[in-house]
Amino acid sequence: MGLDRRGFVKIVVGGVAGTLFTPVIWQSLDDVSIWSQNWPWIPRLNKGEVKSKAALSKLCPSGCAVKVKTVGGLPFAVAGNAANPMSKGGVCPVCAAGAQLMYSPARVQSPMKKVGEGKFEAIKWEDAEALLVEKLTALKGQDGKIAAISGDETGTANEVISALLAGLGNSGTYMMPGEKFVAEKGVKLMGGSGQPGFDIAGADLVLMIGADALDSWGATVANQKAFAATRPTGGVATAKFVYAGPVLNSSAAVSDKFLPVPPTATAAFALGLANQLISAGAVSSAPDFAEYKALAAKYTAEEVEKATGLKPETMKELAAMIKAAKAPLVIAGASFGQGAGALDFVAGASLNVLLGRVGSGMTLLPAAPKAIASSSVSEKDAASFLANVATGKAAVGALLVYEANPAYALPQAGDMAKALGNIAFKVSFSTYMDETAALCDLILPAPHPYERFDDAMNPYGVAKPTYLAGKPVVKKPVADCKDPVDVLLGAAGKLGLSLGFETYADVIKAKAAALGADFDALTAGGIWNGEAKGASLNLGASALAKAAPAKADDKTLALAPVCKLAYGSATLATPPANLLTVRDTELSGKDLFVQMNAATAKKVGVAEGAKVKLSAGSGEMKARVHLNEGVAPGTVAVLLGFGRSAWDEFTKGKGDNVYKILTVSDEAGTGLKVWAGSTVTVAKV
Amino acid sequence: MKAKEFNIKWGMVIDLDKCTGCGACMTACQVENNIAPMVDASNKLRTLSWMLVYELSNKKSGAEAEVAYLPRPCMQCGNPACVPVCPVIATDKNEEGGIVSQIYPRCIGCRYCMAACPYHARYFNWEDPIFPKGMEKALSPNTSARPRGVVEKCNFCHTRLMKAKDKARQDGGNPEALADGAYMPACAEICPTGAISFGDVKNKEHKVFELAQGKDAYRLLEKLGLNPQVYYVSKREWVRKLGDNYAATGKPGAAKKHS
Repeated sequence: MGLDRRGFVKIVVGGVAGTLFTPVIWQSLDDVSIWSQNWPWIPRLNKGEVKSKAALSKLCPSGCAVKVKTVGGLPFAVAGNAANPMSKGGVCPVCAAGAQLMYSPARVQSPMKKVGEGKFEAIKWEDAEALLVEKLTALKGQDGKIAAISGDETGTANEVISALLAGLGNSGTYMMPGEKFVAEKGVKLMGGSGQPGFDIAGADLVLMIGADALDSWGATVANQKAFAATRPTGGVATAKFVYAGPVLNSSAAVSDKFLPVPPTATAAFALGLANQLISAGAVSSAPDFAEYKALAAKYTAEEVEKATGLKPETMKELAAMIKAAKAPLVIAGASFGQGAGALDFVAGASLNVLLGRVGSGMTLLPAAPKAIASSSVSEKDAASFLANVATGKAAVGALLVYEANPAYALPQAGDMAKALGNIAFKVSFSTYMDETAALCDLILPAPHPYERFDDAMNPYGVAKPTYLAGKPVVKKPVADCKDPVDVLLGAAGKLGLSLGFETYADVIKAKAAALGADFDALTAGGIWNGEAKGASLNLGASALAKAAPAKADDKTLALAPVCKLAYGSATLATPPANLLTVRDTELSGKDLFVQMNAATAKKVGVAEGAKVKLSAGSGEMKARVHLNEGVAPGTVAVLLGFGRSAWDEFTKGKGDNVYKILTVSDEAGTGLKVWAGSTVTVAKV
Repeated sequence: MKAKEFNIKWGMVIDLDKCTGCGACMTACQVENNIAPMVDASNKLRTLSWMLVYELSNKKSGAEAEVAYLPRPCMQCGNPACVPVCPVIATDKNEEGGIVSQIYPRCIGCRYCMAACPYHARYFNWEDPIFPKGMEKALSPNTSARPRGVVEKCNFCHTRLMKAKDKARQDGGNPEALADGAYMPACAEICPTGAISFGDVKNKEHKVFELAQGKDAYRLLEKLGLNPQVYYVSKREWVRKLGDNYAATGKPGAAKKHS
């Protein structure tokens, strides 16, 4: 029986129909689509109960009060703590990446001892602590031989470090540069004392001079929340914001007015405005008003235009706007949070005195009670200290570096890293392998904020005394680390010193008790607030009279470092999860873009994309040019946070470090080291 | 074409006059949706940014210069351009709430949807999601990791919607009438200036109902008629004009007026 044509067609049609009706083929297709995406290297999700725990996330400089979300006990995400007035449910971009930073490839996994140039070996904690004690014992009692640098402006850890050093016969605990240090000096020059605070929430006009209050200055999230409260979506704004500074940055982007002012002309701008206000009838009962008036009179609209490029009418409009406001507030600071002179601060703060806003808008915080009586932080900053080490003025045998990265984040960073070479024994207490840790002889890994007790007293900018504390979110740290304060307290015991505490948690409990705060409520996400002290300030006229006029120079450009919180801070390289936020007009491959406006670029003779070399002092950096009309005339803006030489594959070798070309000068009349008004030479390569 | 209508319409209203461009929303989105960090994230043809903050400029200089930041999630269009072009129905708009789905195991990676989407809200996975060693322990339980070769996009943190509905059921409430704020995507939750409002734009009890109808509210490229569920608000005319580069007036509703 052969297969005839009809039979063949039947089989084919039956076959096709059968294929269509059988589920096998569809099921297989479905399976293929699923299984072809189901490879063993595709990570699986974690299972378990999802919880939310309060934490103090000190990854950003001011610290965010957050809720850490955990699954099966493992942190995976961060949300704001709506009940905490410091964050009101908001989180900064750095703290938003907090859970992933626990597993950063740059984390130091165990204590490390240097065994050669750039080579380390892992050692046991007993050995590491014994080595620390041995080195400190050898230098005990020799004044100035042991020093410490701290990059944590708010932690009570500073009290422990300075008390330990005081007990060893030394007193050198130096702070990394920040606004707080300079502002306190400025307040002194105005006849007051204490840390200044700024009540943004209570102001109906906020003039930010330099200070990028809505992205990187002060308690950022609290500032942003105060700003947001005045701008109901779809409603009428209840406060005006004005930004005067070198770059159209985040604060300027949402302000009602942006006034481009080169970083070298900040004080001239403030005094020019004072002149306009006084001409419009502003008077002050401050004892030095006459002197101040005479000084301000020198800053005529024409002079201000020469220094800043701002038209006289613009200044007049601003003065009128301030005059019309019921509760104006002036915030002055460096656009990148450090390096400004005390006089820049005084020039800005004097406007608050002139406007009668001291005590209400600008407040002064009383000194916080100490947990350890014998502690005292030095009057000098880390930049001055390391400059002395470089020249041999300070002969230091041992240096403790706590949560700081002086080899990267100090002006003329190259020289600073070299100066560290003059110190025989350096210990870094750091969570991550940063540039300074890579130069140290001993690295004692510190826990991530979710793994430790920590606190924050008066983050700079807050209007009222403020205290936050946090406890660990996880049961066990991811790395073999120990709390630096616990290590130091243990070392103190072995050195025969008793600081009265055994753990950092006890120190924080004592601090809370001294303030009258409830430790348990604080670590559950609460906050302690005190009252600002009443004070009167003068206008700082005698100090301002000493201010040196900015040098006009055709060959150089004013340097405006730009801090974007998302890209990290002085102590933290850009978190891997935040790299996405870096624009391709800021970083392309390994090229960093510096920004200037078209007129400036023409003056320098460069075009979009051109490769340039920026040099100042003994430092230089390479970059490419991106034209940005939001940069003040005669100014080159450079992002901070790039050009890392340590850390991990996500950040290492990308772009260049602007700290290398910041030049330090002595401020006339105050003797402070300043670098916010640095100038650079830009040359095409 | 007629837009698909549902009783619930999850939508965002983003106030561009409040956005400082800080990037917290982008980071929170990456964390929530398990997007692996890339070593070279400056190559924007390869990155996955479900939420992307654009920088807009008025192109003026000096004191006249202004910039605005525009966070761009998936617009969850009422009449999505991506859905009809998908040959395998890996993306659809078929659920109450109007969120445009993306079914990864079904996606064959042809990228027609990417070509169709005028908002560039869709991304192709060029790489497998490889996290630095140990970082997979910080994966969010809310979104599965996608292999290379598939297209992905923002889904308004859909798992959060499921969880909010579950919670409503457990609490004896109505999962189809969630209270304002009961369901929030990660970006809206974290935004430190509260620039992103989220809710059901059809529900009068939700804040976004009114905000989406405000006089300064507009949508991107309204002329195309895709009927997005994401609204923007700005008092600045130049910002609104950029929102629809065909718009002649820059005024809300301008979409209907031009040719």
